[in-house]
Amino acid sequence: MNRTLNRWRTWVWVLPAVILLVVFVYYPIVENIRLSFFSWSAFSARPTFVGLDNYRTAAADPVFWRSLLNNTLFAVTSLVFQVGFSLVLAAVLEEFVHQRLRGLLRTIYFIPAAISITVSGILFSFIYNPQIGLLNSALSAVGLDSWTHAWLGEQGTAMWSIIGMSQWQSFGYTAVLFVVAIQRVPREFYEAAKVDGAGPVRSFFTVTVPLVREMTTLIIILTISGAFLVFNEVMVMTAGGPSNTSQVLGTWLYRNAFMNDDMGYAAAIATVIFVITFAIAAVQLAVSRRRRIQW
Amino acid sequence: MSPLTRTSTCLAAALATLTFAACGAPSTGGATAAKQADLNTPTKKTGTLTVVTKFADPKYAPYFVSVAKAYEAANPGVKVDLQQVGDQPYKDKIRVLSASKQLPDVYFSWAGDFANKFVRAGLAADLTSVIGPDTDWGKTFSPAALKAFSTGGKSYGVPIDLDAKYLAYNKEAFAKAGITAPPDSLQSLLDSCGKLKNAGYTPIAFGNQFGWPAIHYLTQLNAYSVPPETLAKDYNPSTGAFTDPGYVQALTDFQSIVKTCSNPSANGLAHEAAQANFLSGKAAMHYLESVEFSVLTQKGGASKQLADHWGFFRLPAPSGAKGDTGALTGAPDGFMVNRQSKQAALAVDFLKFMTDKGNAQKMTADLGWLSAVKGSATAQNSFPQLSGALADIDKASQFAIWLDTVTNADVAGAYLSGVEGIIDGSQTPQDVMASVQNAAKKAKKQAG
Repeated sequence: MNRTLNRWRTWVWVLPAVILLVVFVYYPIVENIRLSFFSWSAFSARPTFVGLDNYRTAAADPVFWRSLLNNTLFAVTSLVFQVGFSLVLAAVLEEFVHQRLRGLLRTIYFIPAAISITVSGILFSFIYNPQIGLLNSALSAVGLDSWTHAWLGEQGTAMWSIIGMSQWQSFGYTAVLFVVAIQRVPREFYEAAKVDGAGPVRSFFTVTVPLVREMTTLIIILTISGAFLVFNEVMVMTAGGPSNTSQVLGTWLYRNAFMNDDMGYAAAIATVIFVITFAIAAVQLAVSRRRRIQW
Repeated sequence: MSPLTRTSTCLAAALATLTFAACGAPSTGGATAAKQADLNTPTKKTGTLTVVTKFADPKYAPYFVSVAKAYEAANPGVKVDLQQVGDQPYKDKIRVLSASKQLPDVYFSWAGDFANKFVRAGLAADLTSVIGPDTDWGKTFSPAALKAFSTGGKSYGVPIDLDAKYLAYNKEAFAKAGITAPPDSLQSLLDSCGKLKNAGYTPIAFGNQFGWPAIHYLTQLNAYSVPPETLAKDYNPSTGAFTDPGYVQALTDFQSIVKTCSNPSANGLAHEAAQANFLSGKAAMHYLESVEFSVLTQKGGASKQLADHWGFFRLPAPSGAKGDTGALTGAPDGFMVNRQSKQAALAVDFLKFMTDKGNAQKMTADLGWLSAVKGSATAQNSFPQLSGALADIDKASQFAIWLDTVTNADVAGAYLSGVEGIIDGSQTPQDVMASVQNAAKKAKKQAG
């Protein structure tokens, strides 16, 4: 009797969250996948079933592949900066910086993350301005005029300029998350490593890295998912230009849905984004679960 | 964190985009053509009227709020539910409202294919009986503005403002460069650019960060180089082919303008940043819309030196142009009435109120826009250049409607991407037209 009551109580607590997830997460997934097999727009009288046509269109669409490449570049760069460099920065902050200065530095690093992406995008549009921008002025000031560019207006630099802005914004945020994880590592491990003759680098690789693995996994998932869901930065800074060279899957989806009135194709792109992010998350979770360390 | 929670967190993050894509999903029934609503002025004006505009900009919004309030005050039984969103969000919102069958009674529309989509989908009321060129209300509008919202001989929109594209020029810069009169041909413009460069000016301030400023040049150059009947056929998604050699000529002319007249790095510069160069006197010309003219006045923030010494002229046509050299880039913006609205008659009454002479004059005074209503610009509510633009618009043989709204969206997308390539030298006019022709084929297939 008690067990039945307990089970019933459990469901009462869980049900609101389950209902919300089903309505706002799982139903849109299923509906989106269904709609990706149709040709339809906001103005079409009736959706027409086209089978896999939208996916074939994607396979033959150079902008789709360019977008996928840009998202991948975004993800790889973000992994290097927001996971690799952030972890090193967090370890340095915790190990070598004086307590008072540590708080100040953490705040300084974190401030960009507290600024809205739209505001950051506009701010960096000024920095990248080819005529009055800080970046070109700084390069000219140190005699590197040949390095100046119309950063957001050239095909070779537009995407990297956006990626650079995003790293500036998120770097401090992930560093602070790593600081929290490092603070949870018992000091005894570091002391034991020291007694065994390990220097700071060895301690970092043999104590810090393994013991913050769960946080690392979480940040990797968030970083990669974020890189494949990126939208605002691109919309604010280039809207995908010039000549679609800074399109990412999110903006290409948006363009097809709301500018080109091709909702079916947009749904197909959304399904691709879902499959990629879901697959990466699933692999990461499986790997991290196998390698979890308990203390 | 439990595995279930973590999985859910990741799913939620990944699906933000998916939810966004699915939000405008059509219901199973799809759109059904409703019968034409009764548009006669209601004997008793009561109820709520829903109106959606794209004028959320704090500079523009108060005017529309004041009109709505004035209408409510004049008709105590009516409540106007006015929703104003920004230019870009409006494009999303109106599509979602259309797909979910929640279109407001009155909604904003650009002229061209944007408006025609609502007509083809049976979502725009046929207003010919009330605003056709021969009706009392229709006669109060500029005929070119009315025509921009007509398709198949029927009127579907109420034009609210008039907008046209001009090259504004700094008279002092022209004088210093030894140019005595505004250029009257494309070659003369290119020659003037050389003289202005020698005098130390950027000939034309050009910012094309988001693509549309270049599209406006192309709109005008296409109208000059392609015969009007070919243009009309190609701009129609079901017949578009874009094979006329005039299109390549237009892109070649654009390429010459960019090479000879524009500042470098136009793709990396916003239109407003380029405008600042004109305002500061560094650039001698700037291609801008008449709705932006107020920025060049002292009231709009320009220096007295510039405000007192600027004029404007149309982008000049190349000699021997095969198109319509009297066409002028621009279009009215307007409002349409939901064909399925139960308040269609009240909606028409509200729009009549919004476009009466008093409100039209107030719009010109408050916003610095030209109204599509005849005689609305006066010496009291406008300034000389604005009145001059109105007089010039009256002389135009027709509006060359913005290329990115008059054509199918895929074609517009190919043009947008292509002109950026022309500017940075990565594409030739032939490359661009090949992409445009492919997009036109896709559009034709979709249009059936």
